[in-house]
Order: sequence, then structure tokens, then C-alpha cells
Amino acid sequence: MSGTPCYPYPPMTDPTLIRNFSIIAHIDHGKSTLADRMLEVTHTIADRDMMEQVLDSMDIERERGITIKAQAVRLYYEASDGQTYQLNLIDTPGHVDFTYEVSRSLAACEGVLLVVDATQGVEAQTVANAQLAMNAHLEIVPLINKIDLPAADPERVRREIEEGLAIPADEAVLTSGKTGEGVHDALEAVVRYIPAPAGDPDAPLKALIFDSYFDAYRGVVALIRVVDGSVSKGMKVRMLATQTVTDVEEVGVRRPANVPVDELGVGEVGYLITGLKDPSLVKVGDTVTLAKHGTVDPLPGYREVKPMVYTGLFPIDGDQYPELRDALDKLQLNDPALIYDPESSHALGFGFRVGFLGLLHMEVVKERLEREFDLDLLATAPSVEYHVFKTNGTSEFIHSPQDMPDPGTIDHMEEPYLKVTVLVPPAYIGAVMELAEEHRASFKDMQYLSKTTVELHYEMPLSELIMDYFDQLKSRTKGYASLDYEYIGYRPGDLVKLDVLLANKPVDALSFIVHKDKAYARGKILTEKLREIIPRQLFEVPIQAAIGGRIIARETVKAKRKDVLAKCYGGDITRKRKLLEKQKKGKKRMKNVGNIEVPQEAFMAILKVDD
Amino acid sequence: MTSASDIPALPEHLYVHVPLCRTKCAYCDFFSVAEADLPLCVDALTGALVGQTLAWAQRGLALRPLQTLYIGGGTPTMLGPALAGLVDALATHIGVATGAEVTVEAKPDSLDDALVALLAEAGVTRVSLGVQSFHDDVLRTLGRAHDATRAIAAARSVRKWNLDLSIDLMCGIPGQSMGSWLASVEHAIATGAGHVSVYPLSLESGTPLAAEVLLGRFAEPDPDIAADMMIAAGEILAAAGFERYEVANYAKPGAQSRHNTAYWTGKEYLGAGPGAHGMLSATTARASGFVVPESAARVRYAIACELERGLQSVPRVEVETLTAEEAAREDVMLGLRLTRGVDVVLVEGARVGGVLEHFVGTGLVERADDRWRLTERGWLLGNEVFGDVWAGE
Repeated sequence: MSGTPCYPYPPMTDPTLIRNFSIIAHIDHGKSTLADRMLEVTHTIADRDMMEQVLDSMDIERERGITIKAQAVRLYYEASDGQTYQLNLIDTPGHVDFTYEVSRSLAACEGVLLVVDATQGVEAQTVANAQLAMNAHLEIVPLINKIDLPAADPERVRREIEEGLAIPADEAVLTSGKTGEGVHDALEAVVRYIPAPAGDPDAPLKALIFDSYFDAYRGVVALIRVVDGSVSKGMKVRMLATQTVTDVEEVGVRRPANVPVDELGVGEVGYLITGLKDPSLVKVGDTVTLAKHGTVDPLPGYREVKPMVYTGLFPIDGDQYPELRDALDKLQLNDPALIYDPESSHALGFGFRVGFLGLLHMEVVKERLEREFDLDLLATAPSVEYHVFKTNGTSEFIHSPQDMPDPGTIDHMEEPYLKVTVLVPPAYIGAVMELAEEHRASFKDMQYLSKTTVELHYEMPLSELIMDYFDQLKSRTKGYASLDYEYIGYRPGDLVKLDVLLANKPVDALSFIVHKDKAYARGKILTEKLREIIPRQLFEVPIQAAIGGRIIARETVKAKRKDVLAKCYGGDITRKRKLLEKQKKGKKRMKNVGNIEVPQEAFMAILKVDD
Repeated sequence: MTSASDIPALPEHLYVHVPLCRTKCAYCDFFSVAEADLPLCVDALTGALVGQTLAWAQRGLALRPLQTLYIGGGTPTMLGPALAGLVDALATHIGVATGAEVTVEAKPDSLDDALVALLAEAGVTRVSLGVQSFHDDVLRTLGRAHDATRAIAAARSVRKWNLDLSIDLMCGIPGQSMGSWLASVEHAIATGAGHVSVYPLSLESGTPLAAEVLLGRFAEPDPDIAADMMIAAGEILAAAGFERYEVANYAKPGAQSRHNTAYWTGKEYLGAGPGAHGMLSATTARASGFVVPESAARVRYAIACELERGLQSVPRVEVETLTAEEAAREDVMLGLRLTRGVDVVLVEGARVGGVLEHFVGTGLVERADDRWRLTERGWLLGNEVFGDVWAGE
């Protein structure tokens, strides 16, 4: 991908001619396509190099239409006032898993374009992202997209924005990322409504790291926004949170390919090559300043990113363990939020306990490991991090059911809770309430954002959210509900470990932690599910669910009695062999647990107990 | 110097596929066309099948008479009197050994007394009658064109002209009761057949019956019920003097199918007609003009499932080659289908002794008198063993 610069690069732009903005939207509202059009109309990318979702460089991002990594690209735009402006577009992840990353990207901006789909209207992540922008005191420019669609209803959406978000939408820009209509208006609005950055050019350097990535040749590259002062090649800088000192090997701007510049000044956005080989030293949200006589006041908002969801990842073929470790090492270079520790399971052999920001993050990582590194992986049911308080006064965090201490030694346990926001048409309130009840959610409040949209707030354990809650919410509301959540801390819960036994032997990888009141029902449904999932073997396989040695549910997979291809038509042996090969291949994809062939989905079956 | 005896000979077993059916049965995914769709007349079809077979005799292989000839389909009996002509032509031009087994597959609805007489005269020795069931409701589920009365009449004709009779029966059919199944087995025995094949229905994707099951109009065949039916049939047949000599085949003494046994014992066979299969040693294959890699020991070919290219005298074929070791594993895999099992020497040659040993532990395989064979329990769980044998150690 190569940019075709149509404007010269001034060494530094007068801050009054700079606009830093981000585009925020609910998933699928057309954010990335709109960004594509902006790159086109500003000739940042030549038409011949244009492809869809330019800023989403990962295959998975393009296929799923999601943004995982933040991106920054500089555009030059000649506005109707005759001036040429430097616009820095910071593309943010759109998913709730990455809320912290989004907040840091927003901190690098003075304003946002709030994109709302002209057919879908305001959805949960529209609200959540708008709130993030408001909390960051950003100028919000509403933009109604996809006006080319026959079902587009900009008037209704305009009302939703005003009534639901309290954002004046009289002058909302109407656009179509698909046809390109309104894209110039959007850029004009950026220039007109979003404030120019303010900063002190004479103060010591102060810049925000809003993302970073690892370049195999050049080490860690930070994406930064300069707040005060300036940064140039050869300077010695310090990262305040990690107290890392390094030389600046290069600074530049992304168009979207890297283009080196001499210096980045107040308000400018660009990249900084640190030469560091350890990505953990360059943290999103950290502040870069001068190594000597720099500022001691970090920019606000920095925090350590903590994984919320944990799962065991095991290679189906045990020999692939070293490859899995290498692959995780490599992914982590560009994804510091990914953490992992070796884990061994009696049932599954050697693997890793991997921590993720959320379920999407987990799915994406697993898919990348399988696709980019050609691994065949088995994932165990995701779990959260529990806080166990023991009778002897000590406490520990556990993120795997296997680590749960003997119940006799436990005084009480706590689990992470979320504040959950659901936006839904009023007709589905009942369905949402019912689902909430099934997931131990406590209702907080409800308000009408408009005649067509109700906002409900709940508090619920994270462990319940990852238990198929989102899929169920979607299916019970016919896809109308949208969801957002934020972490609100630990709360006590009456939790027990439920073990699953196959052929009378406990299978550690199938055990899970569950609320006592739910244990019996979940155990029963799980054993039923497992009976359907586990194919018949040459011998009978009893499936049992147990709490602390007491069996609470039992099912049996009967022994297989018939498996033979009888008819041979005209000596077609090849066909027979092919069928046998196919059957054999199917078995290979299963995990052999104590002589029982267990399909991969068995380890995720607990997530499907609501079906 | 190459002496005449070094020239590879024509295989002694020939399968001819007649790709013609009045109606397609609901469970069948083999190649056939309806008569109305046949772009050529029956005589031309017969001529093409003969022509393709004769072309083999002109490929430089030494001629020798056939030990078995099997005309299958499709529905060979739909050729009517031309079927007798086909047998006659093959016997005249290729040659059939004295005492050879000449089988014709037949469906009851296209086999009458007059046709049986013609076939007997042309040298057919055996008729394999696709009855499937003597229960009319079950026959309708299968989409068969005949009823039980017609099946009994056809069987009578075969016996009347003193031909060996084999009857195909199918179990595990949606809606089929155990009672109806056992009655069908009894009926088959009563026809005087010396050979009975007992198959569980297998749902092949893309067939109308599989679609009905997917749509929920029929219950998916329960493998346990099919197993019970296979076992019950075996008991009744044994009591009537039949011996199970292969997974699905029962015969009175001396009435085993020699043609099918050739498939299970690694004998070379030719296939002719669209959709037919053949197996040759690499040597024979080379001598007959196949280009075969150095490493190959065995060649399997399948003739294209289309009338135009499948009926040419040198038809379009898909070829698969096997190394000596693969061929040996295949022989073990196929030989284990036979009740008598396979010789330890063959198993050692295929290097699958360890695989079989493992199944001794699970009770599917036993070894006695220097032979490996499936146990009674292993009989209906053959795929467990076959798949691992084919995969090797």
C-alpha cells in the first residue's frame, strides 16, 4: 500500500490549521467505509491503491467488518475557506471489549464524528461511544450515514440523536459511505466544528501514546499525539508509567504508509519509532516526555489493561505445543492485552491459560492463531477471574476452575460485575427482563430514549454475560437489541465448582464455576448436551455432573453397535476407502480423553445450556 | 526375448454397468438415467457396452475366458431381450470359461418369465434380484417400482429356469417394523434363493430419501434398530442353512458369489460402462496403455458417469494408483469383510499386525489358525477396524 502525497509536508503545521478527530459508531454503521471515502476525496490514497476498509489491515478486520487495532492517518484537505488543513483521522476499535483503547484514542482528539446508521438509528454502542466522547469533553458532530438505502429515515434518526443523546442534530451531516455523497460536507464540518488543538510549543514534550505496534525490523512503534512541545529524531525520551528511557529513532506521519518527518509539534499526530524490543514497555495511555527535564505530570486516564475473560487453549495435536507458544509470543507483540501462562490438563495435555479483554478479543485471537499459524486448537469454556477469600485470612485470584481451592478452606468468593446497558424497542422489554433474570442480573432502571427505543440498565456478573447472554439477547429480540457494558468491580457470590465425569473419571477441562442456585439446572442441561455431542463409542460412556463428590446429574452415551458399510456397488472400493478416511479424519479432530473421543464443541457446551 | 506367457492377461472378472432405470429409487445415488432421457436406442447402448469391453481385448493383453461376469446397474433387465444379446456378445467375443458365474442384476418389475428364459439360454447362471422388502409400504418408502407379488413372481421364474437366485434385502428403513423385516427374510428363504444379501439402508446425501429425513418427514434410521435387524436376520438365515460369508452376504454351501468375492480378495477385474469401476495390477495397467507412476502397484479406475464419454470405446476414466503397501493394506481391509478373514502372512506384509492387535483388546478382532478375522461383535462395527487398517500404523 503506498500513498500518493498531493501536498508537500510542511515541517510543522500551525496548530490552528490542525484538526484531530475520530469516527465513532455502533458496529456495522459504516465507519470504515466512510473513512475509505475520506481517504479518497483527499487523495491520500490513489484510486488504484484503494481497497475496502483501508484502515483495517488485518484480514479478520476486513472479513468481519470490525476494527481491532487503532489507526491514525493524516489527510490534507483544502476547505471552502481556501485554507489547507491537516486532518488527523484516528480510527478506533468499535467494540466494547476495547473500551479503554477507544478512550485513549479519543483522548488524542478534539472532536468526533458520531456516525449513526440511517436505517438502524441509535444503538447501544452509539450511546456508549457518545458518552465516552462527552466524558472526554470532545466536540461531537453527528453524522447520519447510509442515506442511500431505501429504508433510510434520517428524520427519525435525527430525532433519536437529539432525544436520546441530547446532541443537537439540526445540522447533522447526511452521508453515504457507499456513494460518497456528503463526504465533503463531513470534512467541512470537521474543519468548522472541531476545535484546533491547543498546547504550549515551548513547554517540555508531552505526548500521549494511543496505540503501539511491533515492527519486526524496527521494534516497538508508538502512535502518539503531541500535546505540548515537540519531538524529533535523536531525542532522548522517557515513558512516564514504565519509566523507560529510549532514543527516538524516527518520527513520522501515516498516510497511511509511514512517511518520516523532521519533527512532530503541538497538536500533531504521528508515529515514533522507539527501537525498543519489548512491547510491554510501551503502554497505551502512557505519556512520552523528555528524558531530562521533562514533565512529571502524566496525561490523565492511564491505566493497566487487565484481561477479563480467560480460557484454556490446547493444541489438538499435542506436538503443536511449542508452535502454539511461539504463535502467542508473536501475537502478543502487537497485542499487549493478551496474556498467557502455561496450563496443563489431565484431559487435554499441555496448553495455555489465556486472558482476553472480552469474548470478541478471544474469538479473534483464536481465529488468528488457527489461520495465521496453522494451528488446530481446542478452547475450553471461558471463565472469569474469581477472588477467593479463605478461612485462614488469605485471599487469591483464580482464573481457572482447576485452581479452585478445597471448598472447606473457602470463606467466601467474589466475582466481577458489570453495568450492562441494553437498548431495545419497547416490544421486547419483557424478553430482555426474562433473559436478565435467567442470568442473575439485577434491574437498575429504564428510560425511553425515544418512542422506539428503551434503555435498560442492569448489574450482572461477568460470568453470566459470557454464558451465551449476547447470542440469546440477539435471538430473543430478533436482532433488535444492542448491548454495552462496563466493569464495576467485585461482588460476593455463592459459587461452587461443578465437575464433569466421563466414564466415572473427572475431566478437568470440563469443570466450571457456577452460582449455587444454578448448579443443579446447569449440570443437568450440560450432561444432556454432552450426551448429544459425544458420539457413541465402542463402550458405554456414563456422563455425570458432580459438586464436591455428590452426583447431581447423570446421562449415558450408549455403546455403538453398528458402523459398517455393507453394500458394494460394482466394486467401487475407492469410495469405501474415501468414506473411511473421512470418518477417520473426523475422529482426529476430536480429543482423546481417557480413550473417549470427545469433540471440540463438548468443551464449549456449557455456553450453550440456554438453547 | 518376451515370451507369450509374459504378456499380462485380461482379468478374469468383468463388471458391466447398465446405466438405465425406469425410476430412480429414493435412496440411490448411483449413476443411471431414465429410458426417456436415453439419447440412443437400447440396441445402441448395448452395442456401446460390448464395444467398450471388446476394446480391452485390443489393448495388447493376452486373452483368457472370464471366470465371472456381472452385469449390474442401474437396471440391466430394462434392456429386455437386448440384455440376452449383451451376454451372448460378451461370451462370443471375450469368452466365458466353463462353469463360470454369469450374474445379471434384476428388478422384479422388469423381469418376466420370457426374459428369464432368454437369459438362461444366453448363458446367464445367476440372477441377483433387488427385492429389498416383501412389504408394499416399505417398498413405497424406498420408491421402488415393484410390489411384493411381483417380486415373488420374478423369483419363481428364476427358479423355474433353474438359475441361481440371490435376493437383496434392506433393513433400517424408516417405517419398517421388526415384524415386517423378519417376514421379508422368511419370504426370501421361501423363494428357494441360495444367496441372500442383507444391507442396512445408508442415507446418501442428495437422494430424495435423505431429503425427506432432513425435512423431518421420515425419522432418521436408528442404527441400533438396524443392528438388531441385521442380527435377527442372521439367526433366521443360519437356521435355514445359510452361512454368512461376508459382512452382508449369506449363502447356502457352494452358492457364494464368486464375483463379489473377487472384489474382497484383491483379484483384478475390468469395469465397463459409465460409472463402472475396475482394478488392475500396475503391470496389467501399463500393458493396456495406462500411464502409471513407478511407485504404483495397483490401479483403480472409474469410468465417467456420463453417457457420452462413459460409453466411448476408450472412455474417460478417473484413475487412482496405490503403492504396494497401500494395496496390501487394502487387501487386509477388504479381506476382513469375509468371515474366513485374512491370512497372517498378508497382515504382516501390510504391516498392520499392531493395528489388529489393538482391536483384540476391544474385542472386535480375533486371531486363530493363522488367520485374523472380525469377531461376532466386530461384524457390525467393521468401519472401526477398516478405517484404522487403511490408515496403517
